[in-house]
Amino acid sequence: MTTTAEKASAPTWRRRQRIAAYLFVAPFFVFFVLMLLVPLFYAGYLSFFREQLIGGNAFVGLDNYVRALQDERFLRGVLRVTLFLLVQVPVMLGLALLFALVLDSGRLRFASLVRLGIFLPYAIPGVIAALMWGYLYGQDFGPFAQAGRALGLPVPEFLSSGWMLASIGNIVTWSFVGYNMIIMYAALRAIPAEIYEAARMDGAGEFRLAWSIKIPSIRPSLLLTLIFSVIGSFQLFTEPQLLKSISPVVVTGEYTPNLYAFTLAFSRSELNYAAAVSFLLGILIMIVSYVVQLSTQRRERQR
Amino acid sequence: MSAPRRSNLLTVLMLGVLAYFLLPVVWLVVASTKSNSGLFRSFGLWFDRDFALGDNLRSVFTRDDGVFVRWLVNTFAYAGLSAVGATVLATMAGYAFAKYTFPGGRLLFNIVLGAVMIPTTALAIPTYLLFSNAGLTNTPWAIILPSIVNPFGLYLMTVYAQSAIDDSLLESARIDGAGEFRIFWQVCARILAPGMVTVLLFTLVATWNNYFLPLIMLQDTDKLPLTVGLAQWQSAATRGNGGEALYSSVITGAMVSTLPLIAMFLFLQRYWQSGLADGGVKG
Amino acid sequence: MHAFHRRPAAALGAGAVALALMLTGCSGDSGDDSPAAAAPVSQEEIDKAMATPTTLTFWEANKLQPEIDLFQAKYPAIKVNLVDAGSGPDYYTKLRSAIKAGEGAPDVAQIEYHHMPSFILEDSLADLTPYGAAASKDLFAPFAWSQVATDNGIYGIPQDTGPLGLLYRTDIFDKAKVTPPATWADFAAAAAAVHQADAGQYITNISPSNASATLGLFWQAGARPFSYDGKETVSVKLNSPEMKQVAQYWQDLVTKDLVSTDPDFTDQWFQGLANGKYASWTSAAWGPVFLQGTAADTAGKWRAAELPQWTAGVKASGNVGGSANAVLKSSKNPIAAAKFAEFLNGDHASAVKLGTDVPLFPAAVSALSDPALTGNKNEFFGGQEVTKLFTEISPTVGTDFQWLPFMDPVFESYNQTFGKALTEKGSLTGALDAWQDEVVAYAKSQGFTVS
Repeated sequence: MTTTAEKASAPTWRRRQRIAAYLFVAPFFVFFVLMLLVPLFYAGYLSFFREQLIGGNAFVGLDNYVRALQDERFLRGVLRVTLFLLVQVPVMLGLALLFALVLDSGRLRFASLVRLGIFLPYAIPGVIAALMWGYLYGQDFGPFAQAGRALGLPVPEFLSSGWMLASIGNIVTWSFVGYNMIIMYAALRAIPAEIYEAARMDGAGEFRLAWSIKIPSIRPSLLLTLIFSVIGSFQLFTEPQLLKSISPVVVTGEYTPNLYAFTLAFSRSELNYAAAVSFLLGILIMIVSYVVQLSTQRRERQR
Repeated sequence: MSAPRRSNLLTVLMLGVLAYFLLPVVWLVVASTKSNSGLFRSFGLWFDRDFALGDNLRSVFTRDDGVFVRWLVNTFAYAGLSAVGATVLATMAGYAFAKYTFPGGRLLFNIVLGAVMIPTTALAIPTYLLFSNAGLTNTPWAIILPSIVNPFGLYLMTVYAQSAIDDSLLESARIDGAGEFRIFWQVCARILAPGMVTVLLFTLVATWNNYFLPLIMLQDTDKLPLTVGLAQWQSAATRGNGGEALYSSVITGAMVSTLPLIAMFLFLQRYWQSGLADGGVKG
Repeated sequence: MHAFHRRPAAALGAGAVALALMLTGCSGDSGDDSPAAAAPVSQEEIDKAMATPTTLTFWEANKLQPEIDLFQAKYPAIKVNLVDAGSGPDYYTKLRSAIKAGEGAPDVAQIEYHHMPSFILEDSLADLTPYGAAASKDLFAPFAWSQVATDNGIYGIPQDTGPLGLLYRTDIFDKAKVTPPATWADFAAAAAAVHQADAGQYITNISPSNASATLGLFWQAGARPFSYDGKETVSVKLNSPEMKQVAQYWQDLVTKDLVSTDPDFTDQWFQGLANGKYASWTSAAWGPVFLQGTAADTAGKWRAAELPQWTAGVKASGNVGGSANAVLKSSKNPIAAAKFAEFLNGDHASAVKLGTDVPLFPAAVSALSDPALTGNKNEFFGGQEVTKLFTEISPTVGTDFQWLPFMDPVFESYNQTFGKALTEKGSLTGALDAWQDEVVAYAKSQGFTVS
């Protein structure tokens, strides 16, 4: 960043730098506008219309939005992902943080093996992850069920309506704990070692160290993973979509709001309504992310 | 700081955790050695009496005139081009946001961050319609162009550039008379490399694993990436109208298709982990 | 203007694409410049088209290269490019995408009968009347022909059908001391015996996720839940007395836990077929060959029989699955495409091959009396002449069954109403009412008149 003195003495430098800056960001923004904003505005435009198989297309104003807000299927889906968010995200991030702290403590043997092993699922496509867990969950031939039968232990019906959300939560957790752990671990490694020295001198143990120094130091990383996880939960799509083919009665086309939008557009010919549902979901995500950010900032100030 | 004492208890606990994460992978590897009937008659986590890995691999690579190889090549091409494109765009823009002040910069940056919240399905359909009007569907561009925009990558590069590049470095280069672009390419690009590897790998994973976009955009079997191709085999196995069961091919194909990404993460781990370190801590 | 079913239809997009489709429809090589008026194409034009070097793209989930080779031997100028574009919902998503995009769609596509009306409503299929398709009518089973021909035109050539029979495991039946039931009442008694002999076994499975399979059973009982006039009026009678009678029957078995209710064509179901969880499968005629590929370990244990009947002595069946080969309106070579579809499915030698090599039960009647099919003693079924049995069942399928021009939401709704009630052992007749309400509401919301 340029200092005030330079600005005064060399205005042409400043202008040249500004032009350079615009040229640097231009390519990104050309694609950003074409690939994100244009489709977004187009979707917004579509959400004000209604097209029927018989009767054609008509402008309906906010009708689609009014309908969505009264649509039990949409609202149930929102409720379901909210429940998912409240349980799965804390579990996943809690585990990720715990593992990151354990790795960072240096008290572990085979640390790099453990680190890579936990991260490995992130590199496995969702399609394949769902395929694998689908087999593992199998009620008749899955290894859990087989082992349970052999030992005479009751094994939950992972794909039944009572367990499905938890089963999806397990797949998402399995896939992303490592990803979040790596972000946190990387942040922990970047804390300068000198900071610990004083605390160690005072006789602080590993837990004390983690609680009062490490966790506060990586707060920005934690917030980042939290926001991304919140967004990911609301947008839950791939895992339920793939489990739908294994358990079509439990995972219906309205299981999550995103899946509902997909079903509306692709099997119910209600594209315009699908666009409105997606927009409402986007707005909801923005509100929740904002609240999360705000509440953590407030806590920050209180400290 | 002296090396802390290793804890056996902790090690055992974490190896237990590791077992959970590797369990499905072990299953995949074991299952890929089984024949179709073996798959259903044997215990999931142990080998069947017939060891059919060779047969399965042959079937994967020769089925439908070796289309699997084609899918593999496609996936590499789509993911590779997307990742390189996304990295170049994100690095240039991120560098500019980090190291220059310019009117509208802050606003643009916040708009990009907001874009992360757009639900994916909201965009897939309009993008599809726009692409079909532009004649881009059923071409590789339909997969590559949307993947080139990576707001998270931009964010990561901005944060990375802020911490990795010292302002004084830029000043001295300017005093030497170097132009802004030369400074970027010759001085800063090298410093930004770890961050770039991170964005590259993460875009690679995102494109590699993408299912929905290629599903609707591509029609020719020859143009499909692995995810959609395998799902197609899978659906051939599970639909009654004339499909034959090819579970063993699907599973072995799935196993093979995860190997390249895992290999890439292993080989490049030093880079992406340090890239994330600087991106994460200052976030 | 029509919207496109299932695929997203958009104001701008659909308008532009519909226009593009109309343009390509008008500018085919055939010189047939009015797609609406079905002016017949002369024999010279057909001969010319069949002698002109042409490449056709054909989407089909079955491996039909040998049949294509027969066609190419007869018409060396025409090359047919067989593409396995998958099957199931993803396949139709893809086909509709390609149609809408205005390029990438095949010349000829395999389309299941129940999806034909929606493609016709969307105006995506070419009327084959100008190419002399009407002459093929008598080549095919009447039921199959009624699935492709409407008052307005002929939109495809029937490929295969799925008359329903009962495939059962002799070993399990013997163990429970039951014989193949002649009536559904016998079947219920056998169900109790099978489950009593082994608590892990059920006489059959009724799928909560396969509306098409369940509708086949309703079909047999004389229920005709759908009709469509080809324009704007549909009728929906999913809770008619015939429907409720069948539902009540299954209710009893489900409540007593005498039949299983696993989703079919899933891993678990395959496993169930292979390990004897299901003593029988109410299967379509394509089932026997399919079963050999999936449950190879059980070879020799299976036999086939007619479906149990509602009234003793009456012979009636229903149909599940089956498909047509349709020519897409966007095809630039509609004559060659139409003739290819006719040859592939109507030519005797080709149709016989369909019935022997792949799990297809040909719609062509001449093939069904060919000894190559009827005389085939199937080792998987202990040397039984299974195909012959199904050729005898085929004429007993009620022919007047119609579909709605939007079966996807109807099937989806089945999972959530009837399927849910099956899984949770709820009221099946109540579920029929709910299914009816959902389908009617959907039809109305799409602008149809519901009679």
